[in-house]
Amino acid sequence: MAEMAEGRKTRVAEPEAPVMVRMECVSKKFGSLRALDQVSFSLRKGEVLGFLGPNGAGKTTAMRILSGYFPPTEGRVWIGGDELFKNSEQAKKRIGYVPEALNFYGDMRVSEFLDFVAQIKSVPSKIRHAHIEEKIERCGLPEVGHRLIGQLSRGFRQRLGLAQALIGDPDVLLLDEPTGGLDPKQIKEIRHLIRELGRERTLILSTHILPEVSMVCDKVMIFNQGRVVATGTADELESGLRRERYEIFVVMGDRHRKDDALAIFHALPGVDGVTVLEEQGDRVSFSLFAPRGTELRPVISKLFVEQNIPLLEIRASKLSLEQIFLKIVLDEQMAQQEP
Amino acid sequence: MIKSIVLARKDVSSNFYSWLGILIFSVFFLAAGILFALVVVKYVGISMEAARNGYQNVEGLIMTHFIFGSLFADLGLVVLCLVPLVSMRAFSEERKQQTMELLFTYPLSDFDIVVGKFLSLIWFFALLIFPTLGYLYLFQWLGGSFEWGPVLAGYLGLLLLGAAFLSLGLFISSLTANQVISALLTFGLLVLLWSLEGLMGLANDPWARWLQQISPLTHFREFTFGIVDLGHVAYFVFFCLYFLFMSLRVIEARNWKG
Repeated sequence: MAEMAEGRKTRVAEPEAPVMVRMECVSKKFGSLRALDQVSFSLRKGEVLGFLGPNGAGKTTAMRILSGYFPPTEGRVWIGGDELFKNSEQAKKRIGYVPEALNFYGDMRVSEFLDFVAQIKSVPSKIRHAHIEEKIERCGLPEVGHRLIGQLSRGFRQRLGLAQALIGDPDVLLLDEPTGGLDPKQIKEIRHLIRELGRERTLILSTHILPEVSMVCDKVMIFNQGRVVATGTADELESGLRRERYEIFVVMGDRHRKDDALAIFHALPGVDGVTVLEEQGDRVSFSLFAPRGTELRPVISKLFVEQNIPLLEIRASKLSLEQIFLKIVLDEQMAQQEP
Repeated sequence: MIKSIVLARKDVSSNFYSWLGILIFSVFFLAAGILFALVVVKYVGISMEAARNGYQNVEGLIMTHFIFGSLFADLGLVVLCLVPLVSMRAFSEERKQQTMELLFTYPLSDFDIVVGKFLSLIWFFALLIFPTLGYLYLFQWLGGSFEWGPVLAGYLGLLLLGAAFLSLGLFISSLTANQVISALLTFGLLVLLWSLEGLMGLANDPWARWLQQISPLTHFREFTFGIVDLGHVAYFVFFCLYFLFMSLRVIEARNWKG
C-alpha cells in the first residue's frame, strides 16, 4: 500500500505537450472474431497509459497494432506526426516495443544482439558502442553482456527486452505484460525501471495485474472483449464507481450466530451483495455494499451489541482498482446476457 | 539495403554457430573433395592413355571441358540435395522462434527483410562453394593443367544455380514454421524441376520443349561446358526475382488478413 501511494504519480502532462500516440476508430478482425472494436485514444508526450483487462480482451492486439506488427482492419494510427501504416519506417523509428513473449535470437550473445538492433535502427556507427553500453548499464545487464540469450533467465530476458526497445532512444515505449512470469523481486526491479523510463518517455503498458497500473500509470484504459469499457485516471475510475456504493467488512466472533447477523444485514435499508467471505473457527467475515452517502457502521454495531453478537471488526473499504475492474467487466457481461 | 546486409550478416553468423550449418559446410566440402579426387583419377587415366598413344598436348581446353564438365554437373546435384537444408531455416526459424514479430516492429520494410534473407542464403552458399577452389589449386600444384576461364564459368553457373534454388527454398520457408516440411517440399520441387529436362527430352512435342526450358538443368549445363550465355544468366536472374517477389507477397500477407 505504501508502495502504491509512493508510486502513483500525480503528474499530468502539460496540456500543450505534443500528442505522441493517437488511435482513431481502430478495429481489428481475425476472421469473424472482433479482437478490437472501435478503439480511439490519444496520448501526450510524457504520459503513461495502462491497458488493463482480462486475458484475451484485446490488449495485445492493440499493442501489436501500435508496434506496427500488423495494421488494423479499420481505423488509423499516428505515432508522432507520422501515420504508422503509411509512413511506417519513419514512425517505427519512434517506437520501442517489448513483446510479451520475449523471443529473441537464442544463439546470439546479448551485446551482439544489441549491436544488431542498433544497426537496424540506424544508430550512427560513431556513437553505437557507447549507446549500447549505456542501455546495458541502464537495464542492469552488464554481468550478462557476453552470455548467449538462449541461456538467460526470464528476468534478464525482460531486461534485454527493455534494452533493445531503448536502443535508438524512441519517444514511445510499448511494454506488453512487462512483469509476466517474473518473481516478486524481479517484478519490483522492473517496475522501478519502468517508472524511471516513464518520466522521460511516452509509455504504454499492458497488464492484467491491477496494482501495477495504479503504481505506474497516469491513465488507465480497461479492455473487455475488444472494447474499451472505461478510461480515466485510477482515481477517477475509483471515485466514479464509489459514487454509487461502498463496501463494508464485518468480522464476528461466533459462528452459531451467523444467521442472526445475516438477518441484521438484510434488514438494513439499501444494502445488497451480502456475502460470507470466510469462516475460520468461530470467526466469520462478511462483505456487503451500502449506498453512498449513508453511514451504516454505527447502526450495525448498535444492532450487534443489542443482540449480543460478538463483533470483532467493522470497517468501510474503498473499492480497490481490482474490484472496480471486476465490477466493470462483470457488469459488461451481465448487460450482454440480458437482451 | 544496408539493413538487408545487417540482417544477412546476423543469419550467416548464426548458421556457423549451429551444428546444422557446420555439418552442411563439412558435408559439402567432403563431397566436393571426393568428386575432385575422382576427377584427378580420371585425369591421370586419360593423360596416361594419351601418352601411350603418342599424343603430347591433350591438356588445355578439351581436357578442361571433358573433366570439369562432369564435375560441375555432379556438384550441381550435391547443391540440389543441400540447398533445402540451407534454405529451410530462413523464415521457418524466425517463425518458430517467434522473432518475426521483432523484425516486423523494427524500422525495416518487408522488402529489406526478404532481400536480407536472400542475401544471407547466397552469402552462406558462396562460403560453401568457394573454398573448393582450394582443390583446384592443389590439383594445379600437383601438376595438373587446365584452363581457368571455363572453370570459373562453371563456378558462376553453380552460384546462379544455387541462388535460383535458394530463392525457391526461401519462398517455401516463408509458408511454414516447420523446417522439415520446408526442406522436404523444397527438395521435392527441386527434383521435379531438375528432372523436367531429362523427362521432356524423351518426348518430341513443342510443349515438352517449352517445359524443358523451365528446368534449371537445361540452363546450367552450358555453364558446366565453360560457356557463359547471357540468355541462361537471364533465366536464373528471372527465376530468383520471381520467387523473391512471391516471398515478399507472403510476408506482406499479414497485412491483408482480417
